[in-house]
Amino acid sequence: MLNVEQVRKTFGTVTVLDGVNLAVKPGEVVSILGSSGSGKSTLIRCINGLERLDGGRITVDDFDVSKPRELAEARKRSGTVFQLFNLYPHMTALQNITLAPIEVLKRSRAEAEDEGRALLASVGLGDRAEAYPAQLSGGQRQRVGICRALAMRPRYLLLDEVTSALDPEMTSEVLDILAKLASGGTTMLFVTHEIEFARQISDRVVFLEKGVLLVDLPTRDFFAAGGGLAQPRVAQFLSKMRKD
Amino acid sequence: MRYTEFTPYDLVLLAQGLGVTVALFLGTSLIGLAVGTLWGIVRYYRVPGLTQIITFVAELLKNSPVLVQLFLVFFGFPAFFHLDLGPVGAAVITLSANTAAFVYVIAVSAIESIGRDQIEAARVFGLSRWQVLRHVIAPQAAAFSIGPLTALLVNQLQVTSLISVIGVMDLSKIGATLNLRTLKPFVVWSVVGLLYYLAAKLVATLGARIERRLRAHTAFRGL
Ligand SMILES: Nc1ncnc2c1ncn2[C@@H]1O[C@H](COP(=O)(O)OP(=O)(O)OP(=O)(O)O)[C@@H](O)[C@H]1O
Ligand SMILES: [Mg+2]
Repeated sequence: MLNVEQVRKTFGTVTVLDGVNLAVKPGEVVSILGSSGSGKSTLIRCINGLERLDGGRITVDDFDVSKPRELAEARKRSGTVFQLFNLYPHMTALQNITLAPIEVLKRSRAEAEDEGRALLASVGLGDRAEAYPAQLSGGQRQRVGICRALAMRPRYLLLDEVTSALDPEMTSEVLDILAKLASGGTTMLFVTHEIEFARQISDRVVFLEKGVLLVDLPTRDFFAAGGGLAQPRVAQFLSKMRKD
Repeated sequence: MRYTEFTPYDLVLLAQGLGVTVALFLGTSLIGLAVGTLWGIVRYYRVPGLTQIITFVAELLKNSPVLVQLFLVFFGFPAFFHLDLGPVGAAVITLSANTAAFVYVIAVSAIESIGRDQIEAARVFGLSRWQVLRHVIAPQAAAFSIGPLTALLVNQLQVTSLISVIGVMDLSKIGATLNLRTLKPFVVWSVVGLLYYLAAKLVATLGARIERRLRAHTAFRGL
């Protein structure tokens, strides 16, 4: 269970997260929607320990990310895919994937490389294992980014707008992979502007507005007239996103 | 004093002087590289207090003439600490510290040149600060800094000539001695200059070769 309880985060005098509660059960796919600046990335960064909380608690399988001793365990259980890929530019695709399994999980190099190659093959990059990030397209880089996260065998996959730096064709490459992962039972917390895609793959959709989690509903209810759409802000957001 | 012609033995003297210069250069460069890198690592770990002290010392060393530093160590250490280092000891300490200060500056900017996003990614996957330094920062920082380091070392090689003023028998001191004896400054200083030039060229060539190798598997720029 990934648990976010009453989380508060401020930058200076600005409150970016204001008492957020969210629980993700193993096997669930939860999408986070919300307009720009609503705090979605900040929430993800709090969960993977990149930001310090100013209040509340986040636990990943009961490991508290605010406790330095437990953060390492919490981090082993979650894998992050970044909007701008954040690959290591001096390492090949395969080295990007195997670094953490070898260094953190202490897997043998041979085992990590076998698994890395298998992951690359599963996302259609079997022949690009030795390529450097600069030699890959954006969509290919993001597929490497997904493999890098999966190589840690995370219990929870955190994805922050992983397609928003990609053009439509590359976006669909990446979304296809995510859809496969979702139907394969991977637990995902998924920040996105791809409303239709979120609707297809999510079990639940939550809506963040100015640091407050306004709506948290099963997907079908979220998009139902009497459910999420009853919230004026959600209706406004969805109609604006569909127009764009 | 009688002036005399060059003798074959002068070549031996020159070779000895060159040996002293090269030995001092190599020794102080290695110490300077090690110390400067260590200072950079201390700063990376943000060791409280120590980082400020290092930055302050590096500033002092960078912004004052090496000659003044050399006199301070050579005359100051015996006077204040009752520690007679001799000319070679004073030269080693001064040149090492001076190189360290500039290596520190290069190391800091090399570490800072690495994108935060990659470092955050590595941290999120559970790598320790040390593992991030070793696997993510160091290889890229090395490729980044090899050019400036080569330029620094070529310069430090010339700076070693200053130590002749406190009596170290380096290449410049041998040059001065031969000059006084033969009164043929043009010949003496041309030969001495050529030897410095060749040594510097060697350093620059080695640096360029290492740089090519480091950048070979950095066919990655432009991400
Ligand atoms: N390091 C920081 N320092 C100061 N303010 C920050 C920092 N990071 C984020 N913020 C602010 O926090 C707010 C929420 O930012 P966040 O990146 O979480 O939004 P978001 O929902 O991810 O937006 P987007 O959809 O544009 O990615 C914004 O107002 C942003 O300016
Ligand atoms: Mg964001």
